[in-house]
Amino acid sequence: MNIRIIKMKFPQSILAITLALINAPVWSSDNDPIKELTKPKSTVNFGTGYLFNDNARFGQYTGLRNEGPYGIFNIDIVRRNDETGTWLKLLGRNLGLQNRDVRFEHSKQGNWGYFIDYSQTPRYEPFTVNTAVTGIGTADVHVPTSPTSGDPAQLKTERQSIGFGYNKFLPGNLEFQLHFRNEDKDGARLFGRGNRLGAPGPKAVGGFEFIPEPINSTIRQFGASLDYVGKQLQLSGGYYGTMYNNKNSVLNVTGGSDVGGIYAPSAFTPIALAPDNQSHQAFLAGGYSFTPTTRGTFKAAYTRATQTNSFSPTLFSAPGVGANLGGRIDTALLQAGLTARPLAKLSINTNFRFEDRDDKTPVLLYNPMATLLDLNGNSWHGFNNPRSFRTITSKFEASYALPKDFRLIGSIDHDHRDRSGFATNTSHRHRTDEISYRAELRRSLSETITGTIAYILSDRFGSSFLTNTTGTGDPFFNLIAPFNLADRTRDKVRLMANWEPIESLSLQLAIDESRDNYGHRAGSDLGLQKGSARNYSLDATYTFSEAWQATAWFSRNETHIDQTSRNPITDSGFREVWNANLQDIGTSFGLDINGKPTDKLETGANLLYSDFTNKFNQKVILDPQINTVPNISTQYGSLRLYAKYEVRKNLGLRLDYILDHFKTNEWTWNWRYTDGTKLTQDTNQMISFVFLSAFYSWQ
Amino acid sequence: MLSNVKVIRSWLLVITLISGIALLSQHALAEDDLDDDDPPPDYVLRGDGKCTVCHDENSDRPVLGIGKTKHGTVADHRTPTCTSCHGEGNSHVDSPDKALMPERTFGKNSLNPVEERNAACLACHQGGKRMHWAGSLHANRDTACTACHQIHTEQDKVRNRITQAEVCFNCHKELRTLINRPSRHPIREGKVICSDCHNPHGSAGPSNMVRDSVNDTCFTCHMEKRGPFVYNHPPAQENCAICHNPHGTTAPNLLRSRSPFLCQECHEPNTHQGSSGTLTGSYARNTLARGCLNCHTQVHGSNNHENVRNESMFQR
Repeated sequence: MNIRIIKMKFPQSILAITLALINAPVWSSDNDPIKELTKPKSTVNFGTGYLFNDNARFGQYTGLRNEGPYGIFNIDIVRRNDETGTWLKLLGRNLGLQNRDVRFEHSKQGNWGYFIDYSQTPRYEPFTVNTAVTGIGTADVHVPTSPTSGDPAQLKTERQSIGFGYNKFLPGNLEFQLHFRNEDKDGARLFGRGNRLGAPGPKAVGGFEFIPEPINSTIRQFGASLDYVGKQLQLSGGYYGTMYNNKNSVLNVTGGSDVGGIYAPSAFTPIALAPDNQSHQAFLAGGYSFTPTTRGTFKAAYTRATQTNSFSPTLFSAPGVGANLGGRIDTALLQAGLTARPLAKLSINTNFRFEDRDDKTPVLLYNPMATLLDLNGNSWHGFNNPRSFRTITSKFEASYALPKDFRLIGSIDHDHRDRSGFATNTSHRHRTDEISYRAELRRSLSETITGTIAYILSDRFGSSFLTNTTGTGDPFFNLIAPFNLADRTRDKVRLMANWEPIESLSLQLAIDESRDNYGHRAGSDLGLQKGSARNYSLDATYTFSEAWQATAWFSRNETHIDQTSRNPITDSGFREVWNANLQDIGTSFGLDINGKPTDKLETGANLLYSDFTNKFNQKVILDPQINTVPNISTQYGSLRLYAKYEVRKNLGLRLDYILDHFKTNEWTWNWRYTDGTKLTQDTNQMISFVFLSAFYSWQ
Repeated sequence: MLSNVKVIRSWLLVITLISGIALLSQHALAEDDLDDDDPPPDYVLRGDGKCTVCHDENSDRPVLGIGKTKHGTVADHRTPTCTSCHGEGNSHVDSPDKALMPERTFGKNSLNPVEERNAACLACHQGGKRMHWAGSLHANRDTACTACHQIHTEQDKVRNRITQAEVCFNCHKELRTLINRPSRHPIREGKVICSDCHNPHGSAGPSNMVRDSVNDTCFTCHMEKRGPFVYNHPPAQENCAICHNPHGTTAPNLLRSRSPFLCQECHEPNTHQGSSGTLTGSYARNTLARGCLNCHTQVHGSNNHENVRNESMFQR
């Protein structure tokens, strides 16, 4: 304002001289190097790109799926009033695409602030659905009564969220915070219905129909907290609430095949969709520094989650059942930790966590028909099955400083879980305990070589498995100890080393390997047998010069699970025991080079290649007959190149090129639904995306 | 005859020139005085002149970029000085060729223990989301704040949604490749990032989860899975990670392995539940398409009373 007045009254020459002189030693001039180095910068980036080739994978979450032109528009506006410390920020990312983000922030640092943001995230189903099913995206779907070839349809969901937050610092080292987020999700996703068409047996065929699930729901999160931050004591107490609202409570399906009579999938309507639910939590967390080296932390929280969505009147309702589930889960959490250094060389760390998730949902007979004999001659309970979990984890760790910057660390972790429930057709035990011992040698200080080597031994065990019984109390199968309940021993070794043989080269090696052994139900050898995981990585970073740097890396990840099951009764009346040695192998490497060949030109390349292979290795233990499942192999490669040229200090051009390749032989959807629906994908997708944009920055 | 305006203008010009020369002289004097006892001028932080006299943009360790950050917003009286973090550093300033380092440094060749380096940050950043730093996984692994955060730059890489994962992958290398698997969260696109689920500064939840449990964290985006339902699938109520690997998988829907193998890790081989994987014959229904979920569609739980024959069927 003052400048404008001076400009009106003074000849320009005078003004120029005056400003030149006055501004010479300070940093408010546009060309002042100090200002350039110390004041926030705003940038706008805009341009256009062209995508060569349609694809399903590259654009799965961005919308860059169809060949053609796309707009590039990003903004990052930052203004700061140095006198008051007031910030004004506007960030816009991918504004020309479907995965755009916008965030506006206004704050007076150390006093108050608020933000509003918006985010849009599409998710395209990577498979194209060729279907004659109609009503996609609605709660009323019609399925052809006989196999019908249809038209290609693209399933998609999209999330749009709006968030708001406010904070205000108050006297007495207090800060008040408020947040709210509303996320709408719309679209349709893969779903279906199916059933075996008749009595059980190896040759019993099934009927399966494609029914897209309508997605039209809202997630809300909101809360407020009051924080105290003192030199020794910090506290945060408040409220956190969540709410889920589904616009559709049931999915009504008309049509469909009636082949199979009472077993026909067309009988499966209406289908319940996810019910509305909500939660409300009150919490208090804190930390207290008793001394500079002794600190305690805690969190106490109580949450009530409820699900009282009215049952749809179109659903079957058993006598004595209310209008809704009356679902209620109360969760109490208490966590406390203490870190201390009782001796100069000895540090200890303890942590205790108690979580009691108490499902107080009333237990009622919801399905009287379950008490009738099924085709296998069994009957069941028909009650709902609320599950409560109580988890107590505790940890003790001690770290002792050794000569030459080594540290020796030892720890014991105990994980105790109590689960309510009963055993019917899946094994159950009320309690599991897992104790882990860790010994580690570490050299942390930055020298030419640092690293850590650790060994962890874990043992999980628990109470006796309950006997699986049917509704009449007769024993059911009792052969499998479930993945999360089975006895298990785990040995794990972890090694990480950093080495700088010369100033310009750094190497990093990371290796970990674990081996699991699973226990079984008494008298059974079925279920999980063994498992292992191996991860190897080698990274190298080389600095050629001040202007050029490169990083190369290689990773190999392997997991394997050895598990055994038993086939259904064959025509010969024999159940064959079979084994699968499931292997998941990933091999990846990457190369990243960045450089600045001239003062005005910056350029870089990023190459990534991964090969993922799944092997199923099925074999029979007692009989020569066995099915085979082909390996699945997927390759993903990406090459990204960019060059950024400064026309002026604050104006430039950027050229980007992306080559993205996805190839697979996966067979998941080598399948046709009974209604004729078939899912397909291009198994070899390669795209090029080139875009040119300009960037302009100012302060 | 000169008009009054021209006279005034001429005088103003003279005054302006004199003022300018005076200011320049003052500036020159100030420069000269640098050789004497006056402290060098501050550019960003209070009292930073002692440091910025050497550590300008031509230095190996430029520091002026901090002026663009919240630390450099001096209108906020809480902001630090150079010495708040690095110590007084007189020995460094006075030592020949600056051979002695400041009291506290944060670079890769720092001789200060990590705990001591982090203490500088925690002196101000101990509350809020960093409340549980002490005793957290990263603190116990000697992770320096500056291993992840860049303090003197406008764009802290780990606080940018697009680049955050690169920082995390410096140590969590097995995850670097998982995010490229066919079934994945949009991590590459920056729509789901590590800190959406994990609080690297520690939390009351397991695995540094931002909420109090794994499930509560997943429910922030997938609340439709929360229930409780009339018929619950127990592992879905206990821990989503029993079946899912959120960092990326080759099996669909972020499942740890495929149907029927995954389901057979818990379910008894009653009839068809024990069938081996096959792409042909009637039991292909357990392997192809949605596998076991071709029939048992409501695997996270069902709110429909009428599940045919069995409360665990999850068919409608």
